[in-house]
Amino acid sequence: MAKGTHHVIIGIGIAGNRAAEILRERDPDCRITMITMSRLPFYNRYDLPKVFRGVRDWREILVDPPAHYDKSHITLRRDSRVTNVDGQRGTLTFAHNEEIGFDRVVVCTGGSGYLPEDLTDYRHLMNGFATFESAMTVYELLPEGGRVVMLGGDMIGLDLARTLLETGYRVTLVVNDYTFWPHRVAADQRGKYLEALERLGIEVHAGAKLESVKEGPKGMPARCLVFEDGSEVFGDVVMPFCGLVPSVEFMLSSGVDIERGLLVNPQLRTTNERIWAAGDVCQIWSAEENAYRFYYGWNNVRAMGEVAARNMTGEDEPFVSIGDEELYLDKGGHIASPFWQHD
Amino acid sequence: MDSTDLQIIICGSAGDGTIAAGDILKRAMARAGYKVIAFDLYPAEIRGFGKCVARVRVTTEQVYSLKRRSDVLVSLDDSHAIEHVGEVRDFGAVIFENAPIARLGEGRHMSAHVKPGQIPYGLAQREVCERATSSSRSRNIVVLGFLAQMYGLPVAAFHEIIADKFKTKAAVVGESNIRAFDAGFEAAGAYFKLDDVTLGPPSHVAEGADTVMMTGNGAVVQGCLDAGIGTFFGYPITPATTIMERLAVEMPKAGARLLQTEDEISAIAATIGAGYAGSRAATATSGPGLALMVEMLGLGVMAEVPCVIFVSQRGGPSTGMPTKTEQSDLNLAVFGGAGDAQRIVLAPTNVEGCYRCAGKAFELAEKFQTPVVILLDLYLSNRYETVVFSKDNIFEPNCSKGVKTQDPGQAYQRFQLTDDFVSPRAVPGEAGGMHTVTGLEHNELGRPSDSAEMHTRMSAKRHRKLEGALAHPDLNICKRFGDEGPVDVGILAWGSTFGESLEAMMAAQAEGIRCSAMKVVMLSPLPVDPIAGFLADCKEVLVPELNYEGQLANLVSGQLGRPLSRLNRVTGAPMQVEEILEQVRALAKGRAAA
Repeated sequence: MAKGTHHVIIGIGIAGNRAAEILRERDPDCRITMITMSRLPFYNRYDLPKVFRGVRDWREILVDPPAHYDKSHITLRRDSRVTNVDGQRGTLTFAHNEEIGFDRVVVCTGGSGYLPEDLTDYRHLMNGFATFESAMTVYELLPEGGRVVMLGGDMIGLDLARTLLETGYRVTLVVNDYTFWPHRVAADQRGKYLEALERLGIEVHAGAKLESVKEGPKGMPARCLVFEDGSEVFGDVVMPFCGLVPSVEFMLSSGVDIERGLLVNPQLRTTNERIWAAGDVCQIWSAEENAYRFYYGWNNVRAMGEVAARNMTGEDEPFVSIGDEELYLDKGGHIASPFWQHD
Repeated sequence: MDSTDLQIIICGSAGDGTIAAGDILKRAMARAGYKVIAFDLYPAEIRGFGKCVARVRVTTEQVYSLKRRSDVLVSLDDSHAIEHVGEVRDFGAVIFENAPIARLGEGRHMSAHVKPGQIPYGLAQREVCERATSSSRSRNIVVLGFLAQMYGLPVAAFHEIIADKFKTKAAVVGESNIRAFDAGFEAAGAYFKLDDVTLGPPSHVAEGADTVMMTGNGAVVQGCLDAGIGTFFGYPITPATTIMERLAVEMPKAGARLLQTEDEISAIAATIGAGYAGSRAATATSGPGLALMVEMLGLGVMAEVPCVIFVSQRGGPSTGMPTKTEQSDLNLAVFGGAGDAQRIVLAPTNVEGCYRCAGKAFELAEKFQTPVVILLDLYLSNRYETVVFSKDNIFEPNCSKGVKTQDPGQAYQRFQLTDDFVSPRAVPGEAGGMHTVTGLEHNELGRPSDSAEMHTRMSAKRHRKLEGALAHPDLNICKRFGDEGPVDVGILAWGSTFGESLEAMMAAQAEGIRCSAMKVVMLSPLPVDPIAGFLADCKEVLVPELNYEGQLANLVSGQLGRPLSRLNRVTGAPMQVEEILEQVRALAKGRAAA
């Protein structure tokens, strides 16, 4: 590589962090800038449920100590939102009106929690779980032994549900199309998995369609969910877990092809030769399926960061999905998913 | 957390309201009962460019200096604040504008410089301010509201202080600034606090009149007023100007008089004239002004005229660095001028000391009929501290040794050689007090004389009368702190540097080093005996000073003949506790190794 090549990594999740490691390893003289909207250095989001196990200091879930970035000569720019990437000029612009140049950029911004259209009116009555801050907010809102009502119940939510139950909280799951996302569970298979959730202690609410979410009456839990059949469910916190939507808004005028995510070839390069993508933000061309598709889970996302970085530094390797993608019940009859596996 | 030790830096460009924000912050915290020490750095230029930095340390326990590492940095202008981001400790906070209007080049925004261990809080300061006040002028107040929400600072105290600050302007100005504060407070509600900066409750409830916060120069003014200053003549010069500015407001209320003269020579001449006439008279200047004054200072010594000269040191020589601190006028203050012109020189070490020394200076000048120089420096003149004053006036209103009734026909001997070397003093117009006064050597009547014997006796008189100053009541001419008896390392310090020295001493003690610190307040005549006693107890002695060669070290080693280790800095900034501590460690280690 040319000395002083500037690699920019947008997003400091698993993919971005792995990309940084590989870039530094393969190109010791390059300049690396990592950009994130978060105020914290890279922490493992899979560890967020630990907040309910007593981990209330974000320093305990950092993957690397802050000194790591200085040692690795990585410029870490936090609390910084990218508003545009210009692949032709090799520049990106921040919301704070700063423009920086790059030689290559890899977009690893992942996805944000998807909120279906029929729930958007109740956004102010619900809590997300994407960041340490949001996890702490939920923790602070929940009284001891309090109840969380989960709408949908993707695998991120179900992972949290396990922790909540183990730490003395209660969970009600309102089933919808996104339950078990990103797994595609056939209709005739859903029953056994829902039963497994009930065996865990989750109260499963299926069948009736949600009509509204409102504040609970005085003396009752803070939230009340009303269903079309007239039934009500009360909870202290309502959390939507309906899968992820790729964070690509800032790429809309970049000139690269976007469908739901950034479209990339198997080498994870977008339609601009300076721009790569890795993780939940990208749809990778699958010759087998003759379509672009997402790959989820810690192992896949990490591998994407690695492949993208290797290809940015001269290789030409295709991404190969790691492991099984199926939901299953283990020998004990407990629900299990490769999505939950991480180092 | 019960104990609080929180230091905030606010940094911006001249005109951003940086110093004003720091001023409101420190006053509000003092009003709420916290101890505060604060220091501002500002450019020599008035407005439009140049960096302003306000540092405010808020504590529940008494502290003596600013910390090297701050807990929070507030940037009002990244172009200046970026170079200070390294001063923020790990897991401290950096607050900056995240919606600037102008397009920024690469690396010109604070987000590019916040260290991975620090917590960035981008705040749309300008937008928040414009929404609340239709103007962006009060964004310095917006950030105060932000701080108040994030760290639980006392909102009511801020409201009071902001209202006070703008009370002389149209009501709408104060109201607008309160709105800006509240908008910042509300904006911070959307932020999750990720840093580990905390504020405990104040250690005491302020009792109003007794606990005040003021600068060293402010304390000098209060000391002058409480001591009954009668006349002041001055010519403006940074960093002493605020003494005259404040006295110009306060002295007429007390029936006293102040005149701004055409230059420093006129100022000292008029001051000596007023002192000769019996008024408690003073002037204030800085090093360059003192350089102009020393000739007249010699007249004051020779004619034995009481007067007080406040000197706030800055970076020199010549015009030097007007807005930067230094301790390089000790030699000029102690020795400056022609001939053997010994005078009294005091150097307070903190704001309370400025008050005490200012008032005591008039007592000393009167009692020993001599000019008294009070040596401050920019850091001490401009830094704020919370000070508890006694309700009683501690200063003697008249210390003059008056003229006894004369026998008829006997001539009045203005310069009579007495046992204590202090002569009876008459002021012009006093019955029986007619005499001659001159800058020439003179006899007891004041008439010119160049006899060898008279010059020898009068020289001895002018020197030896000052020995009594070493025992002047209620004045710590020097004081030892820390471990008693033999110690590994002693720190001998003067002026503003003593605060850092004391904190370094305490840190060294905490590390198991036997350590003492002595402050030397009276630089002339030098309290040789207590200093010699202190040095005798110290295996090693360190003298930290803000000058190049070590002017106190030279003074002390010259008189006591003991070599001393020196730590000298001429950076224009105060000495750092860590710098002194590092030297103490090295000396202690070297001694241990030996």
